[in-house]
Amino acid sequence: MVTAVVIDDHPAIQAGVAHWLSCGDPPIQVCAAGTDVRAAWLGPGATADVVILDLHLGGPAPALGELRRLVRAGRRVVVYSMRADDDIALRCLELGALSYLTKAEGAEHLLEATVTAAAGQPYTPPALAGALAGDRSAHRPVLSARETEVLVEWFQSESKDYVARRLGISLSTVNTHLEHIRVKYAMRGREAPTKAALVARAIQDGLVELDDL
Amino acid sequence: MRVVLLGVAVAVQFGLCLSQLVGQEYRARWVAVVAFVALAVVSAACAGWVSRRTEPPVWVVAGGTVVVLAAAFAATALAGPAGPVPDWSFGLVGWHLLVLLLDRVGPLLVAFGWHVAVSVVWFPVAGSPDRERIAEAGTVALGTLSVQLAVALIARMLHRRTAQAMAVAAERDRLATRVLAVEQAERGQRDVFAGQLGTTLPLLADLADGVLDPRGEPARRRCALAATQLRRLFAENDEVPDPLVHEVSACLDVAERRGVDVSLAVSGAAVAVPAPVRRELTAPVAVTLSHARTRARVSVLRTATEVRVAVVSDAVAGPQVAWAAHGVEVESGTYGEYQRTEARWSPPS
Repeated sequence: MVTAVVIDDHPAIQAGVAHWLSCGDPPIQVCAAGTDVRAAWLGPGATADVVILDLHLGGPAPALGELRRLVRAGRRVVVYSMRADDDIALRCLELGALSYLTKAEGAEHLLEATVTAAAGQPYTPPALAGALAGDRSAHRPVLSARETEVLVEWFQSESKDYVARRLGISLSTVNTHLEHIRVKYAMRGREAPTKAALVARAIQDGLVELDDL
Repeated sequence: MRVVLLGVAVAVQFGLCLSQLVGQEYRARWVAVVAFVALAVVSAACAGWVSRRTEPPVWVVAGGTVVVLAAAFAATALAGPAGPVPDWSFGLVGWHLLVLLLDRVGPLLVAFGWHVAVSVVWFPVAGSPDRERIAEAGTVALGTLSVQLAVALIARMLHRRTAQAMAVAAERDRLATRVLAVEQAERGQRDVFAGQLGTTLPLLADLADGVLDPRGEPARRRCALAATQLRRLFAENDEVPDPLVHEVSACLDVAERRGVDVSLAVSGAAVAVPAPVRRELTAPVAVTLSHARTRARVSVLRTATEVRVAVVSDAVAGPQVAWAAHGVEVESGTYGEYQRTEARWSPPS
C-alpha cells in the first residue's frame, strides 16, 4: 500500500487530505501528519512514500528550503499550495518536486499526483500546465508546438479526455506529451535525485535520446 | 478697391494728364515724356497683380514707389513748365501711390509727405509766384490730396470691417462645427453604450411586449446573458491591477449565482490589454457561460506572445461562433460533451 505524510498547518486540511486519499482506488494510507516538516523526518512519516507539503506553513514565505532538503534526501514531494503562483510553481519543479497542486484543484488531481509520485513519476495538474505554458523565463526549455498545445488545452479544460478529442490523439499520447514536457523541465536547473530518476526513466522508455541531455 | 484706384490712375493719366503733357511748355520735354512713360509702366506692372486680386510683392511696391516719386520729381523739377504752375504729375502721382501702398499706411503717409514736401519746396524755387498762383496751386494741392487721403481712409476702414466680418464668420463656423462634433460624439457614445448593453435592451423590449415568456428556457438564457454582460460592463471601469481577470471574474459571478459550477484559472503575468480588446475577449465568455448547464471552466492564459481566454463547458447546443475584431480571434466548437470557446489576442510587440 502506498503511504503518505501530510504536512499542513491546518488540521482540517490534514484530515480532509487523509480522507480523500483513503477513498482512492487503491486507497492511500496517510501514516503521519503534522503542522511542520518534522513529521516527514521523524517517526512513521520518515518512511512514507510521498510527502504532501503545504508550501505556506504559518509564515508568509514559502517553505522552499524545507522542500529542497526533502528532495535532496530523495523524498518524493507533492507540493500542495493555497496559491496559484506561477513563479513559485516553476521554482518548486526546478527544486525537484514531482507535482505542484493548488488547493482549488480537487481530490482526483491530488489522488493521481500522489499515486504517480509514489512511482517516482511527475504529475502535471491543469494549473501547473498553465504555469508551464505561460513560462516566460529565459532558460525555459524549448517545447514543440504540439506540446504547447497539449499544455494549453489541458490547462483550459481540466479534462484529458477533452484534450485527446480536441487534438485528435489518444489519451496515452496526451500523457506522453505531458511527461515529455516534464522531462525537458527536469533536464534544466539544479540537480535533484527525483529529477535524475525521471530523466533516467525517460531515456529507458525511449522518450528522450541521450544526445538530448 | 485697387482695381478702381488703378482705373482712376490710368484714366487720370491718359484722360487729363496726356493733354496737359502735350499742351504745356517744357524746359526738357523728353524728361517729362520719360516720367509719363515710367508712370504708365508702373500702372501696367501693377495691373497684373491687381487683376488677379493679389497684393503686388514687396519689391514691386518698393521699386514702384521709388520710380513714381522719382518721376514726379523729374516731371516737376527738371522738366516742369516754365514758371510756377501746378504740374500735371502732382495729382497723378498720388493715385499711383495709393495703388501701390493701399495696405501700408505708414509708407503711404511717408511717400505722400515726401511728395508734397518736394513739391512745396520746389514751387517757389521754380520762380517767384504771385498770390494768385499760390492760391491756385494750394487749391489744386489741397483738393487732390484730401480726395486721395479720404480714399485711403475709406479703404482702410473697409479693410478693417471686412477683417472683422470674416473673423465673426469664422468664429460662427467654428462654433457650428463644434456643436456638430459634440452632437456626433454624443450620438456615438449613446450607440456605444447601447452596444455595450448588448442584449439587454431587446430583451427588455421583448419582455415588455409580451413576445417572450419569462418562464421559458430561452428567456432565462437570454436573461442570464444580459445579466452577465451588465455585470461585466460595471466591472469595466473599476480601478484594478488586472482589469482582464477582473472582468472575466465578473462574468463568472452571474453563472455561479445561476448554480453553475465554474472554476477560473489564471496563468502568466498580467499584460496591458486595451478596453475594446478586453470587451472582445470577454464577450465570448459571457455568451458561452450563459449556455453552460452545470460545469464550466474559464481560463486566462498569458504567454510571451498572446493572451488566450477560453471557456470549456457542458453547454448543450451552445453557440458556434467565429469572428475577429480588434485583432481578437474567436473560435468555438463542440468536442463530445464539451463546448469550447476561445478568444485569442496577440499584443503588438
